[in-house]
Amino acid sequence: MILYDYVLSASCYKVRLMAALLGKALTLHAVNFHPGREHKSAEMLALNPQGTLPVLTDGDTVLTDSADILRHLTVDQPEWHTEEDERWLAFASDLNNSLGLARLHDVIGYEAVIDTARAAGVMALRKLEAHLTEQRFDGLIFLTGKAPTIADIACFPNTALAPDGGVSLDPYPSIRLWMRAIRSLPGFIEMPGIHRLHELAHPA
Amino acid sequence: MDWVAVALTEDVPAGVVIPSRIEDTDLAIWCAPSGRYHAWSDRCPHRGMRLSHGFVRGETLACIYHGWQYRENGSCDYIPAHPKLTPPSTICVPTYACTEADGVVWVSLHQTDSAMPDMGGRQPVRSMPINLSASDLAAHFGAEDFTTIAVVSDHDVLFAVQPCTDSACVIHALASPDADRSSVSRWLEDLRATLEGVPA
Repeated sequence: MILYDYVLSASCYKVRLMAALLGKALTLHAVNFHPGREHKSAEMLALNPQGTLPVLTDGDTVLTDSADILRHLTVDQPEWHTEEDERWLAFASDLNNSLGLARLHDVIGYEAVIDTARAAGVMALRKLEAHLTEQRFDGLIFLTGKAPTIADIACFPNTALAPDGGVSLDPYPSIRLWMRAIRSLPGFIEMPGIHRLHELAHPA
Repeated sequence: MDWVAVALTEDVPAGVVIPSRIEDTDLAIWCAPSGRYHAWSDRCPHRGMRLSHGFVRGETLACIYHGWQYRENGSCDYIPAHPKLTPPSTICVPTYACTEADGVVWVSLHQTDSAMPDMGGRQPVRSMPINLSASDLAAHFGAEDFTTIAVVSDHDVLFAVQPCTDSACVIHALASPDADRSSVSRWLEDLRATLEGVPA
């Protein structure tokens, strides 16, 4: 499987993280999204006419939607799915227009009505916090089940990167504990702006 | 202003550090493996990094920047780049009075002999930020002080309020022990939408 990848893309990171958690190997093909706009090159448009990233190729299969890619990577692993995942995959997609847009505005100069994007991001975080709080009342930490699913992996990147777009995560205790649980998963990998939990040795 | 609620204990389990604030004072709140809670200035004395970005390492809090570790009294215990050095006692994080009672973490920015506010046997529900000053919130409910606000409601709700800015505070909500916490949480969401004047 080849992932056409941009290291700062939250959606590309979803795919890298999912593969890492599954222990599946990806061949990374770096695309110079910014400032090179290589995702709009003739070669990339031939692969994906929409000119977006990520793109995953697996044999003759070409997938250009990050949720589809998460489904594809976990197709034979039902433990990564629940019936409730779909609504959170849609929620994750919407985050691209709020928290994700605010971050791209701040980090690589995307055009955006920044106050509107941030305000929408805060409303999204409030919804996520309210849901995760109710999950915790039931003794659960993840979005839709007892274990993480593709919904968690889809929602995690743009949420964790919210501070890069000027949206604070400080006031959300349930989101904090959820992110901590995801960062604790075996095989977790980081990206710029998202660090792993430290496991440094205690001094002798 | 003596004791101020800064978190619910279940939101800060042992081994976790969180950012918080009381008005202009930024705080790192952390829980040691022993279960003791601490409230410190959220600034590493070394290079000014927020200690709330750090991590709990044994009974110490470590800065994420260069790994300097601080004991529970705030004094520096270990500098990884100089492992044989005993850090001078002058390297010390300002600490504040901090204790846990009734499932709430309380902080006082000055020494106080005051008793902790009485929660009346209620159970902690959740902490919720709201875009309203603590004093405006108190005024809305006709309370003289925002430290705790009893709210006439189905769930016998009590707010312990944390003042943050001129336009924001955090409500730490407790409710009757037999209340359904999800119901209280949804009631809080509706209340916030009403008080902020925007649709939920």
